[in-house]
Amino acid sequence: MPKLLNRLHRASRIGYTALCVWLRYKGPQWWDRFRGNDPDARDMRGIHQKNADQVFNTAVAMRGMLIKMCQIVGTRSDVFPPEYVSTLSKCHDQMPARAFDEVRDVVESELGKPIGEVFAEFSETAIASASLAQVHKAKLQDGTTVAVKIQYPDIDHIIQTDLFSSRRIAAIYQRFDKNPMDFLPLLDELQRHLRMELDFRREVESGDKIRTLFEDDRIVHIPEFHHALCSRRVIVMEFVEGIKVTEKDEIDAAGIDASMLMPRLMRAFNKMILAFGFFHADPHPGNILVTKGDGGSPEFILLDFGLAKDLPDGFGMGIFELMFSMMTFNESAMLRAFKELGFKTKNDDDNTLIHIARRMVGRSDSGSFQGEFTEEMTDEMFDAIRENPVVEVPTDFVLVARAFSLLSGIAHTLGQSANALDALGPG
Amino acid sequence: MKSAQLEYSPEELMSEDSYESPLYGGDVLCHGGYINDQYISPRGKVRRPAIEAWRTRLTEEGQPLIHVPDAYVPPHYPNYEQAKYLMKEGLVQPVSRSLTTISILEGFGARIRDVALPDFDKEVVEDLSGTALAHLDKGLFEAHARDEAGHRDQGGHKQMWEAARDVGLDKPNIPGDVLMRLMGGGTSNRKAERIYPELSAQMEQTIISMANILVVETFAEDVFAWAMELLGDEEVSADPKLAAHLVDCVRIDEKPHVDYLTVALSELRGRTLISQDGKKTFEGSEVVDHIFSRLLRGSASNRPKEARERLQQEIHGQIQDARRAEKVSKHFESLDSGWTFPVAKDEQLEILTKAA
Repeated sequence: MPKLLNRLHRASRIGYTALCVWLRYKGPQWWDRFRGNDPDARDMRGIHQKNADQVFNTAVAMRGMLIKMCQIVGTRSDVFPPEYVSTLSKCHDQMPARAFDEVRDVVESELGKPIGEVFAEFSETAIASASLAQVHKAKLQDGTTVAVKIQYPDIDHIIQTDLFSSRRIAAIYQRFDKNPMDFLPLLDELQRHLRMELDFRREVESGDKIRTLFEDDRIVHIPEFHHALCSRRVIVMEFVEGIKVTEKDEIDAAGIDASMLMPRLMRAFNKMILAFGFFHADPHPGNILVTKGDGGSPEFILLDFGLAKDLPDGFGMGIFELMFSMMTFNESAMLRAFKELGFKTKNDDDNTLIHIARRMVGRSDSGSFQGEFTEEMTDEMFDAIRENPVVEVPTDFVLVARAFSLLSGIAHTLGQSANALDALGPG
Repeated sequence: MKSAQLEYSPEELMSEDSYESPLYGGDVLCHGGYINDQYISPRGKVRRPAIEAWRTRLTEEGQPLIHVPDAYVPPHYPNYEQAKYLMKEGLVQPVSRSLTTISILEGFGARIRDVALPDFDKEVVEDLSGTALAHLDKGLFEAHARDEAGHRDQGGHKQMWEAARDVGLDKPNIPGDVLMRLMGGGTSNRKAERIYPELSAQMEQTIISMANILVVETFAEDVFAWAMELLGDEEVSADPKLAAHLVDCVRIDEKPHVDYLTVALSELRGRTLISQDGKKTFEGSEVVDHIFSRLLRGSASNRPKEARERLQQEIHGQIQDARRAEKVSKHFESLDSGWTFPVAKDEQLEILTKAA
């Protein structure tokens, strides 16, 4: 399809979806007002779900930036209702791959050579695919088996188009809605993320950095990159095999000590988040593989560093102090920790932050915090934050809380716990 | 003669004295308080005499007490003279790192409330009524946890050490890698091997936890002396009186912890433990002494040696950035008093004392 037509098609599909979503919210409000009912008293869960489903379907059909946008919404429980978060977080899982011919040109133009000159074998079927890229198995001329991550050929253009359309739609929506939600910060955040993620050289750097952090600790393995074959749109890396971290039966069958999975995984993430200040911010099960280490102890292969993140100085200590203050019900220490982490209230009302912390602690199984940020606690915290729009939450905290919550989800699948405080003690 | 009370409710063991004024560490409210200008530890009104009563009973039964001899306690590194010298040379970081690490470890003391106790009725042959063991989950562990980590808006030892550091060193920079070091640098956690697999995991873990904490608390005596001397030294401390006093308060608070753990482990020594399947029994003295000796040897020999070597290397690294690096380095080493664990590998440790 010519570029202009393609642009029009995408813009109209995105616009149509946005209009449907808007009308689904506005229609019942107008109707309630007309009938003299309070629109705020209406149960919105069904409408949220319908809208989330439509956004998801449009994203899957149009892909590109929309998938990325859905992935971000799927991580922002502090901003969006749970129906959106649970539906759109499905965009983290496998997306349909593109045909090989579409991505072949990218590999050849990035490497400056025909595929056959660089690779002895190249599987035409993708082994994984996501919002911006897909992965193929291949063999180098020296016989080394590698994984090749290839950016979709037109993704730059698609993203520019979608960002432009989204900003226009957001502007129109804000003009017509009396109490508009401000989508522009989300779009800004999305643009920042995409700029980082579209340059695969950054992902290679992040992977190398995390490998260095674990050079004395074989618990974590990062696939080696073939740097000479990595570029802005292609990554060629060591092909690694392992078992998905949530596949307990397979892990048991491989003779790996499953009881050590969470203690070791938490320790690895504690090291990154609390100690190193640089972490893999997307520890969903598909990005963590398990292999058998010494004496059957589990070791981990981490994949996909598109969302690796630097944390500000002192952030790890701030998270640690927050956990500690929650464990001891020390409200003034919680407040100090929230502030150290960058939480802000627009009217300097400390009680709002205390209220949030109390709700989090109240949602833990025992009514006290013992070191695990469970999904329920994190959800409770984000619910409380959504209900208190005076609170400004630092993005770094959202990503860290989400990472701990994802780890807690993995732990529950395994019948274990993801206790960050337990995993902090000397090894 | 009226016999001493040996049974207590959790409320009694957590009860407080009537303080005339509270303790503050800088602007942080801490636990405990003052009566007649004397610092009195928190939750001690009944706990102190209770521990004394259990100990007296043990002595009357002719049971020895388990303990860590002074000679086994590794001295703090760098020692007082070395630390003072570094501070005078403007190298405050090793001391601020030590004090921060101590505060974090104190905070972890709160985990004692999470120790899953065994079913003593089923796993010990003899009756345990009227013992410290029977009161571990009836106030002793909880009081200990609160003393260490603080509770609600009262700071505990964690906050007291932080306050001592901040007033003594005038709010020093906290090294960014404190948590990293605490996690043991490069090593990854390994599954602990069972020592007595026939006993229940809870029984073994409870003994290990109590023995470990007792060793740490006893070793802390030397840390208190070091910190009080250093932070109380007006040549290097910004507020020698308050900083040393805060450490002294922690020292006073720790005594009941050492005492109740000593009594509880000694009580268990004098009992008979039953295996999980109920078919076998073990002398408590055999199990407790073995576990205690093993932990003590590990904590007093290899671990401090490795920690000392690591710290020594780090400190010299920092000295390299200082002016007159070579001279400072040489003088720092000349102040080292050194230390070697005094018991050979094949020699048995002296872990019992008769005096109650």
